[in-house]
Amino acid sequence: MSKRLWAAAAVVVAAVALSASAASAVGETVGSCIFDEVTVVEELVTVDFDEIKTLKATIESEDASDASKEEREAAKREREAAKEAKEEIVNKYETGLEGCVEAPNPIIPEPTEIIWGGAAFVVLLALMKWKLFPVVKNLMEQRTQRIQDAIDDADRQRAEAAEVKADYEAELADAKAEAARIVDEAREQAATVRADLQARAEADIAEMRERAAADVEASKRQAIADLQSEVSDIALGAAEAVIGRSLEDPEMQRQLVDDYIARVGADQG
Amino acid sequence: MADRSASYADAVAAVARAEGNLDLVADELFRVARALEGSDELRMTLSDRQIPAARRQQIVEDLLGGHASDTTTAMVSMIVAAGRSSDLAGIAQEAVEINARDRGRSVAEVRSAVALTEDQAERLAAALSAATGHRVDIKVIVDPSVMGGVVATIGDEVIDGSVRHRLSQLRDNF
Repeated sequence: MSKRLWAAAAVVVAAVALSASAASAVGETVGSCIFDEVTVVEELVTVDFDEIKTLKATIESEDASDASKEEREAAKREREAAKEAKEEIVNKYETGLEGCVEAPNPIIPEPTEIIWGGAAFVVLLALMKWKLFPVVKNLMEQRTQRIQDAIDDADRQRAEAAEVKADYEAELADAKAEAARIVDEAREQAATVRADLQARAEADIAEMRERAAADVEASKRQAIADLQSEVSDIALGAAEAVIGRSLEDPEMQRQLVDDYIARVGADQG
Repeated sequence: MADRSASYADAVAAVARAEGNLDLVADELFRVARALEGSDELRMTLSDRQIPAARRQQIVEDLLGGHASDTTTAMVSMIVAAGRSSDLAGIAQEAVEINARDRGRSVAEVRSAVALTEDQAERLAAALSAATGHRVDIKVIVDPSVMGGVVATIGDEVIDGSVRHRLSQLRDNF
């Protein structure tokens, strides 16, 4: 980038220099113009004076000689031709001086100025097109690209922000709905749990009552059974004691065996 | 277990038949088994494999010598030496039943708190024969736990007329 800027600056400096030289080349002053005209006229006049001197000497020599009439006529024509040439030089000198003192056109430049200016313009244009325009174009394109990128980035960020906002709003809505649902479920569960606990408590109470009644009944039966067992043990103990004493009698044992034999015999009979 | 006792009983019966005294051997074997049941010390001694077999056989011969036939003594000695003294009761029961079957009779195990007189034994055998419909030999076992009366077992049938049984019924009725 810096190299391109330096190249562009060099192109600009070269263009200015070329323009200055072109301008100095076409800038001719009135004095120099008169000077040029005088120089030309002096050369012409010098030539003419030499011719006049030559011609005067010729005339004098003719006057002095005995030239013929035809020769004098020819000399006369030469003098007239020299006189016409002299007048023509004077007229040209006057025209040149008039051209020098005549004021330049303020609108239309001199042809040389146009040529130099045009050439400089073309050169400058070519240099600018060669070096400066691509740089400027690149800079403009880069700047345009940066601006476009910034715009795109801003649009993207705005779109992302909008998307995030939409997501947030959706999540917020979902959260609200979820919270409402949870609250409703909690209420339903609380009601269910309360009903279950109440039913369970009632069932437990009823079961405890039944169990208490059953326990009372079982205790009652157990007490009766224990009492009966104790009574039977006592009675049986007494009976066994009595029977035991009776069984110690061999006659009793013999009688028991005989009774068994008699009963077995009676059963079959 | 029962098969093994039956095999030993068959062997004992075969030897006794060969000797012609199966009735005596079966009765003596039954008595020896009852005596063994009544003595824990004797039963444990004869069942102790730490004691050499010859020593256990010597104990058997010392106990039975002069009180039982040689066949019975030899059979009991053989059973003890084989380490089957714990099966002696089953073997004796099988031998008694084999003997009864050989004679076309059944065997009734009779438990009484006191020993029966011969007259009581004959009348009881006759009553049981009449009750079962076939001739019955009884084997009396004195068992004080019976308290009084008699418990007769013929095969799977039990006729319990003991005081112990009546007291048990009385306890159940209470």
